[in-house]
Amino acid sequence: MVTLIGYEWRKHFLKWTIVFAVAVFSILNVLKIYSIHGGNSLLADSSWKELYSQMYGQFEGKITDEKIGKLMKIYRPLEQQTADHTASTTYRNSNTQLSNVYEDFNFYRWSYVNPMKYAYDYKAYAHAVVTTANENIIFFKSLNNGYEARKNAAVAELFQGRTITNFSYTEMYQYYVQYDFSSFLVLLICLYGLMSVFLSEKETEMDTLLLTTKAGGAKTVWAKLLASSLFICSICLWFWLIDFVAYSWIYASWDAASSPIYVLEEYIHSALNVSLGQYAALSAVLKTFGMLFFGLAFLALSYLFRNALVPFIIGLLALFGCISLQEAYMDSGHILVKTMNPFVLVVNRELFHKAEYIPLWGYPFPSYIVALLFSILWGTIFLSGLMISVRKNALRKGGG
Amino acid sequence: MKVTFKGISKQYKGKYALQDFSAELENGIYGLLGTNGAGKTTLINIFVGILRSDTGQILINDVDARTLGIEFLSHIGYLPQYPQFYKNFEVMEFLKYMCELKQIPKSQAEKRVQELLEIVNLSNARHKKIGALSGGMRQRVGIAQAMLNNPNILILDEPTAGLDPQERIRFRNLITKFSENRIVLLATHIVSDIEFIANQVILLKDGRLLKQDTPQALVEGLKGKVWTVTATEEALDEKLHRLKISNMMREQNDIHLRVIDDEQPDVDAVNVQANLEDVFLYYFGEGEQW
Repeated sequence: MVTLIGYEWRKHFLKWTIVFAVAVFSILNVLKIYSIHGGNSLLADSSWKELYSQMYGQFEGKITDEKIGKLMKIYRPLEQQTADHTASTTYRNSNTQLSNVYEDFNFYRWSYVNPMKYAYDYKAYAHAVVTTANENIIFFKSLNNGYEARKNAAVAELFQGRTITNFSYTEMYQYYVQYDFSSFLVLLICLYGLMSVFLSEKETEMDTLLLTTKAGGAKTVWAKLLASSLFICSICLWFWLIDFVAYSWIYASWDAASSPIYVLEEYIHSALNVSLGQYAALSAVLKTFGMLFFGLAFLALSYLFRNALVPFIIGLLALFGCISLQEAYMDSGHILVKTMNPFVLVVNRELFHKAEYIPLWGYPFPSYIVALLFSILWGTIFLSGLMISVRKNALRKGGG
Repeated sequence: MKVTFKGISKQYKGKYALQDFSAELENGIYGLLGTNGAGKTTLINIFVGILRSDTGQILINDVDARTLGIEFLSHIGYLPQYPQFYKNFEVMEFLKYMCELKQIPKSQAEKRVQELLEIVNLSNARHKKIGALSGGMRQRVGIAQAMLNNPNILILDEPTAGLDPQERIRFRNLITKFSENRIVLLATHIVSDIEFIANQVILLKDGRLLKQDTPQALVEGLKGKVWTVTATEEALDEKLHRLKISNMMREQNDIHLRVIDDEQPDVDAVNVQANLEDVFLYYFGEGEQW
C-alpha cells in the first residue's frame, strides 16, 4: 500500500505546476502578512516600536500594583494634558517621547493602559459571568427548563476561575487568529491538485486498465485517498508554518504563547480555556480537518467528471458558496446553520471566540463539537458515495 | 488454456450491444473483426471484468470466471483502446507501477521489466517520459505492460489504431512473438492487422457472432464470389451504384473494379482469388455508399 501511495503522490502531486503554485502562493502569503502588519500594527511605526521595546521590560510579566502604579504615573499626566485638547502639538517637545503629547498619550493608551486594564479587569468580569450563570441556573430550574439550566451550568464551569495574571505583547496573536488568506490559498491549491486524482485516469484511459489489475480497484482508490490526504496535510502544514513563522518574524514576538486565549479582547467569551500557543495549534488542526473535508468534496467532483474544467468551476463555485454562507451568518444567532457549513472549520475563530451551545438530546453541546460532527457526517457521505461508485464501476470486484 | 463464452448478452437502453455471443477459444491468435460499434469493446470489457453481462457466462478451463475472483486477473493481460498512460512517468517507472498493481513480487518485477523492454525494443527508451514517446513506442509500452504478469490470455483492443505502416508491422510481429502458448484476442476493424497472423477470425456484427473460422476457411467460403470488372469512365457511376466494390484501380483509360457478388456481375467479369478484406466487405459492406 505504501508503494501505491507513493506512486499516486508521484502521479498527481509531483508536478512542477503544483510546486510553482506553492512557491508563488507562499511568497504572496508572506507579503499579505507583511501588509497586514504595516496597515494594522501599532508598532508598524518605528518610533512606536522603539519606545514600546524600551518600556516593555518594565511592564511585561506578572501584573502587579507596582507596575500599574508606574504606568499610571506616566499615563495620568498625559491624560490630563490632552483632556481639553489644548496641549502643544510642537514636534518633539522636550517633554515628549514621540512627536507630541497627543501621540505619547495614544501610545500609552493603546499599547499599555488599555490592554493592561482589560487584563486586570478580566477576573472580575469572569466572576460576574459565573455569578449571573449561577443565578440563571436557579431561575431556569424553578421554571423546569432543564436545558437552559444545564447551559448556564456549562457557562459557569467554563468561566470559573478565569483570570489574566500576566501582561504580554499580544498583537501578533490578535492578527494571527484572524488571518484567513492562507486558508484560501490552500483551498485553491487543493482544488487544483486534487481535481486530477480520478479525472486523469479517465482522461488517459487508464481507468479501464486499472480495473484489470489486482490492486487497481479498491486498493488504488484507497491509495488515492490516502495520498490526497497526505497532500492536503502537507500543504496545510507548510502554509500554517509559514503563517506562524511569518507572523512571529514580522511582529518580532510570540511572547503571549502561554497567555490564556481570552487575553485577546475578541475572545473575551471564548469557548475554550487554553493558552494562545495551544489555540494556534488547535486552530491549525481544525483548519486542516476542514481542508480534508473540502478535499473529499473535490475528489468526489474529480470522480464524477471526465473533463477538468467543469468540476474545477463547480468546485470553485461550491467553495465561494460556502464562504458566502459563512460571511452571511458570521456573528449571527443562527448557530446551527453556521455549524452545518464545513467552511466554519477553516475560519474556526467563529467557533471559539465565544461560547455558543446547541441543544442535542436536551444537552448543550459546544458549537465546535457540533461543527466537527457535521463535517464528519458530510465527509462520511462523500466518502461513502465515492466508495459506492467505485464499487459499482469495478463490477467483478476482483481488484483488491 | 480454454476460454468459453456462453450466451453473453448486454443491452444499453434497450438496445443490444452484444446478443447471445458464444464462442470457444484455445491457444492461438483470434482476430475479433467488426465495424465500429459492432460490440468488440463491449465483449472485451465483459471479458476483462469491467462490465457485467446481462446474461451468459465466461468459463476459463471450464470454470466460471466469476468464481475465480481476483485470481482471474492473473490470467489476463489487457491493452485498452487508445491508452495514453501517464505522460509524466518514465517508461521504466510506469512498468514498475504496473507490476505493483499486478502484485508481481519486487524481486521478479525488475527482471521482468528489463526482459520485456528488450523484447519490445524499448531498452534505450527506458528513461524516456511516456509523453515524449511516439504512438508506436507507446503501444509497445502498452503490450509490455499487458505481458508483465505473463498472462495466459492477452487481450488487445484496437492496438494498431493510429500507427504508421512500419510500426503496425512491428506490432504484428510482437503479437505473434507473444502468442506462444496463450490465447491472444485481438479486436480490430483493420483487416490487415489479423490477415496474416490470426489463427481464427471472429466476425462480429451488431452485437451478434456472424462467423468464427480460420482466415483460410473464410477466404475459401468466398470462392467464386470475388470478381474484377473493367469499366470505362462513362460506365463507372452505374457500376458504383449497382455493385459491392472492395477496390478500384485506374490504369490508363480503364478502371479495374474488384467486385464482391454471389453471381457474375458482368459478362466480362473475371473471377479472382478472395482475400480477408473481401470477406470483411462481404459480411459488413451492406449499404456501402459511393
